[in-house]
Amino acid sequence: MASTTVTGQPEWEERPVISESMSPALPVPVVQLLQVVTVAAAAPGVSGVISRVEARMQGRTGPRVLQPYFDLAKLFRKEALAPEGSSWVFLAAPLGAMVCYLTVPLLIPVLTTFGLPLGYMGDILGGGFILSLASFLVATAALDTGSPYAQLGASRAKTFGAITEPVVLFVVFTVALVTGTDLPYALAATVRSSAGQIIRPAHLLAAAALFMVILYETGRIPVETHTGTNEFGMIEEARPFEHSGPYFALLKWGSAMKQLILFTILLNVFVAPWGLAATPRIGPVALAIAALIGKAALLGVVVAVIDNSFAKLRLFKITEFAAGAFLLAVLGVLTLYLGGG
Amino acid sequence: MSVILAATVAAPSALSGGANVIAVGVLLAEFGMFRQALLRDQVRLYAAQSSLISALAIVVAATRHLPDLYVLAFLSFALKAVIVPVVLRRLLRGIGAIGGDPRWSDIAGSHALSVANAVLVAIAVAAFGFFTVAALGIRSPVLPATALSVSVAVILVAFVLMIVRRDVVSQAIGFLSLENGVSLTALVVAAGLPLILEMAFLFDLLVAVVVFGLLIRVHHGRAESMSTADLTSLRG
Repeated sequence: MASTTVTGQPEWEERPVISESMSPALPVPVVQLLQVVTVAAAAPGVSGVISRVEARMQGRTGPRVLQPYFDLAKLFRKEALAPEGSSWVFLAAPLGAMVCYLTVPLLIPVLTTFGLPLGYMGDILGGGFILSLASFLVATAALDTGSPYAQLGASRAKTFGAITEPVVLFVVFTVALVTGTDLPYALAATVRSSAGQIIRPAHLLAAAALFMVILYETGRIPVETHTGTNEFGMIEEARPFEHSGPYFALLKWGSAMKQLILFTILLNVFVAPWGLAATPRIGPVALAIAALIGKAALLGVVVAVIDNSFAKLRLFKITEFAAGAFLLAVLGVLTLYLGGG
Repeated sequence: MSVILAATVAAPSALSGGANVIAVGVLLAEFGMFRQALLRDQVRLYAAQSSLISALAIVVAATRHLPDLYVLAFLSFALKAVIVPVVLRRLLRGIGAIGGDPRWSDIAGSHALSVANAVLVAIAVAAFGFFTVAALGIRSPVLPATALSVSVAVILVAFVLMIVRRDVVSQAIGFLSLENGVSLTALVVAAGLPLILEMAFLFDLLVAVVVFGLLIRVHHGRAESMSTADLTSLRG
């Protein structure tokens, strides 16, 4: 339950109190802009950490952590080509998807414990809708190419997306039953409030289910090989097949941002909502940026361990993976409904 | 706003939260048995599930000051997490081995439904169990009501496991894990049960294991397979 202050205002709606003694405060819109900039700038780095750790665990040296930045810089300098017969949708989709990925960090607690202006406009579902819109745009562009490979990827992404969607809904139901709202800020405040909130089964089950969905959404191992050669089992990775140059760079950057956004939701809302700035001062905000990058890198190491310890599921076995996640999410709601688990 | 907040579910204490987590772990182990394709893993999962129940018994013993339960936890761990798995593995040694490798057995393709469908059916049945127990309104002094709902769900899911998997090993493990569900229920509603009764139940289990082991051996000797599909022809 969201604890309330004396005025009857829930804790997560508390406005920061600014006194003059400590480090200077940033204007709140600047902090909000910083949320977007942090996600955009750190996202390729997190992908770099994951592929580096994964390579080290396989006994390879692996690419530099900064390699994704160099890849993006190279792609932005290259020429863009569109397949013959493709329409404006093909070129507009990467831009539209990027806009979506830049919007979501405005709505979720990336750096602050308090809601930023318009931060309450979208709840967890709102953020999810914007992410789905981005994925829809990329799928449309893939269909527009007429390339069978990209179309296959888009069609598979939508098919399995329809299976993981109920899991996300049940996770949101769990959040709603715990906090009475589905604002991400409210759940983060609830998790911080007591140890009993962390070890209740509903919370653990919902977090585990969300983690499984994130593995699917970011194209990680039980579902899909993220890096490496092209193969028939590809889902998400097959979609930008026909894009090139700056458009391909935007899609790659966008999928790295989507990964960091999902990591942020898991970390700052469910698993570890600590280290966030309670005031818009420079010190805590800088600390929050460092904490987010550190936590995301740690989660990246976990993902790399999973990448190295499991085999890729056959395409038709992905439903088993989704059924497992669905089981966790449904049990979460059931234990909450009956007896307050 | 107050109306919405009234609908929220308050956090349980750290103790009952932890107890619920262990109980849910028992249920998840039961669901894990749907997917296991190897005889060895099936037995291992059963051992893990039994250990979780012993852990829960220790938690209850420590927090509710019921020293009998320490003995029960130790006995049930020794029997269900060590002896029964060892006996089962002894009895099944070399049975169902594929290509001479005893680790691989032919219980992999024994699903009557696909794994995903079986899990969905089991979720529905578990939900039924949850809601029925909630409707009964049984309250226990030692453990939260959620643990009771979970234990009934474990029993029902064990039935589903025995129905949807058509191999003798899964059916035996399903029966044994059903007993685990009953132990969990007993722990919730009757933690103060006399120790002698609990021990009698535990040793009954050993008999069941030997009987099941023999049945599996006889069935395999006659049918050259773990599958129970061959038994369908016995229908009159």
